[in-house]
Amino acid sequence: MSFFQLIFKQIRQRSLSTILTTLSIALGVALAIAIMVLHRESRSVFGQTDFGYEVLAGVKGSGLQLVTNTVYNIDRSPGNIQFSVYDRLKADPFRRDIRLAIPIAVGDSYENLPIIGTTPQYFGFNDDGTPADESRRFEYRPGRSFEIAQGKVLHVDRFEAVIGSDVSRRTGLKLGDTFQATHGFPQPGMQPDVHEEKWTIVGVLAPTRTAADRALYIGLTSFYTIAEHGDAELQRHAARQAGVPFKEPVHDHDHDHNHDHDHDHEKHFTLAPDGTIRLDAHLLEARELSAILIKTRGGFNAMNLIFNLNLQPDVMAVNPATVMRDFFGNFLDGPVKLLLVISALVTVVAAISILTTIYNSVSARMTEIAILRALGATRARILMMICTEAAVVGLIGAVIGFFVGHGLAGVGSFYLAQQFGEGIAWARVSAIEIVYIFGVILIAFVAGLFPALKAYRSSVATNLSGG
Amino acid sequence: MAVLLERVIKSYRAPDGSAVDVLNIDRFELAPAEHVALVGGSGAGKTTLLHTIAGIVTPDAGKVLVGEPGRMSDLVDLSEPARDVFRGQNIGYIFQTHHLLPGFTAIENVLLGMSFTGRKVDHAWAKHLLIEVGLGERLDYKPSKLSLGQQQRVAVARALANRPKLVLADEPTGSLDPTTAAQVLTLIRQLCTEVSAALILVTHDMKIAGQFPRVVQLSELNTFAR
Repeated sequence: MSFFQLIFKQIRQRSLSTILTTLSIALGVALAIAIMVLHRESRSVFGQTDFGYEVLAGVKGSGLQLVTNTVYNIDRSPGNIQFSVYDRLKADPFRRDIRLAIPIAVGDSYENLPIIGTTPQYFGFNDDGTPADESRRFEYRPGRSFEIAQGKVLHVDRFEAVIGSDVSRRTGLKLGDTFQATHGFPQPGMQPDVHEEKWTIVGVLAPTRTAADRALYIGLTSFYTIAEHGDAELQRHAARQAGVPFKEPVHDHDHDHNHDHDHDHEKHFTLAPDGTIRLDAHLLEARELSAILIKTRGGFNAMNLIFNLNLQPDVMAVNPATVMRDFFGNFLDGPVKLLLVISALVTVVAAISILTTIYNSVSARMTEIAILRALGATRARILMMICTEAAVVGLIGAVIGFFVGHGLAGVGSFYLAQQFGEGIAWARVSAIEIVYIFGVILIAFVAGLFPALKAYRSSVATNLSGG
Repeated sequence: MAVLLERVIKSYRAPDGSAVDVLNIDRFELAPAEHVALVGGSGAGKTTLLHTIAGIVTPDAGKVLVGEPGRMSDLVDLSEPARDVFRGQNIGYIFQTHHLLPGFTAIENVLLGMSFTGRKVDHAWAKHLLIEVGLGERLDYKPSKLSLGQQQRVAVARALANRPKLVLADEPTGSLDPTTAAQVLTLIRQLCTEVSAALILVTHDMKIAGQFPRVVQLSELNTFAR
């Protein structure tokens, strides 16, 4: 019988203890692999440093909140900036540093998916619907721009919408359908405050594997037609003009389920026969934005722009890559390292389990080992057989754990996609995982060394005699 | 293969640390293909003598020469791994209590006997041996499914698996009934003749010994056995 046939025979002889030992190895490896994959891939998704733009401008406060809300559509909006900030970017000293600036307005939802007001530039088009030049084409990641898979891009001044690739599956909406926006993100049990205005879906985006897949985009001008938005902005603008603090009114939307919420809101726009929206002058002045995405002219321009914008009293500018890198470095790396240490400990415990199982097995088969020696097996061969037996158990456990770990990462990816609209490349294998697997096999081999030495040193004559 | 022992002395350490003398053999000779029965009572050093000839243990003094006449090797001069390899290639061993591996089938146990020769495993030869010992229908049976006599037959087949030049049998019929013992003994001698192997069979039973052309009393051979 060959070397490996002998080993597999010995392993099968003690199948129950082998299975249990293999499972403990698989558990440790699965844990470690899942953590490695989730950490690596979620970092590439949420800790991305490869944004297609260098500056994100918004209200002064938390840069992290601004980035997570604007880029990943999670967390609450940190607040609004005046539309005049966007206008200022078209003039000196900012104009020289900027290649492209995209306004963003958020606050509403449809079936808990975010509705985002923006312009056709966000999708790589000019205001007239023609494709933008290469140099003025917005990229959400370097080299990656949005693509319209069905229909056309929205018109900024009409009640038109473009939806992400995942919205249809989640809501049933498709090209040509209409929908109404819900104020905010109502919690379960709350009566949703549905706005009166309706948008028509004119385009569906191609999948991007980003949070954009689960968002609905409306023309920025149409965002301001929502009566509550317009009223609030006008009131805030008036307070600013008067130099008095503004107190956000508490609007009770739950008191009557059949209450018409817009009967006491004034409309601040007119609609042309072709569907084009014309905002009233006072609303134009009072408009606000949630954020502005800015593509600069390059390295120093980005730093210059961030510096100059942060000097302004009413706006903050951040580099989104720096914000996410700092977040991962400061908050997530520590816990992830701790989890990796725990999974390493689990692997060590599993290796000790191999040692114990094989030690007990060797002790129980000293006579068998003596017989093999009597048949011509050398001490070294016996030692190699036992160590290889341990390594084979480690290998089987590691392989099972490898696949289970990636499976767990797949489950994690599904959860992330459901929650944040972005999944991860959970099936991708990295070099460090392969190194880890080989390390586990080596540890198992070394764990087998201790019982192997017992067999190595055993006396053939004594064990053949049964004592 | 011939065997020559000269002035072989072997003792063991007792639990109290004192030396226990087991073998003191002035000279013992075995010609190629010769069959000899060694007779001795319990504690006469039978097993130690076989272990010494097999190279499982080395004597404290003396020579243990085995091999073809004119090209004999002194096992005492060989390293332990070299002795193990020599034993695997040239010597077949039949234990008193068969010592089959319980997790292996009959044919797998026989194949084990040729697994350490360094040569390719010969399934056909293993099957032939089992057929010769009357177990052609039991190739895939594990020892637990075989009778004691059948297990000993498998052990005999295993000892011949590596086509040895020398077979050492340590009371192979000791735990068998007379009828089965006689059958097993016949098989051992028949197979040894078939492969032209020398045979040293240790027994305490004079009836068994009487069937051999040469009988050596261990008490005459080993001064410590007197």
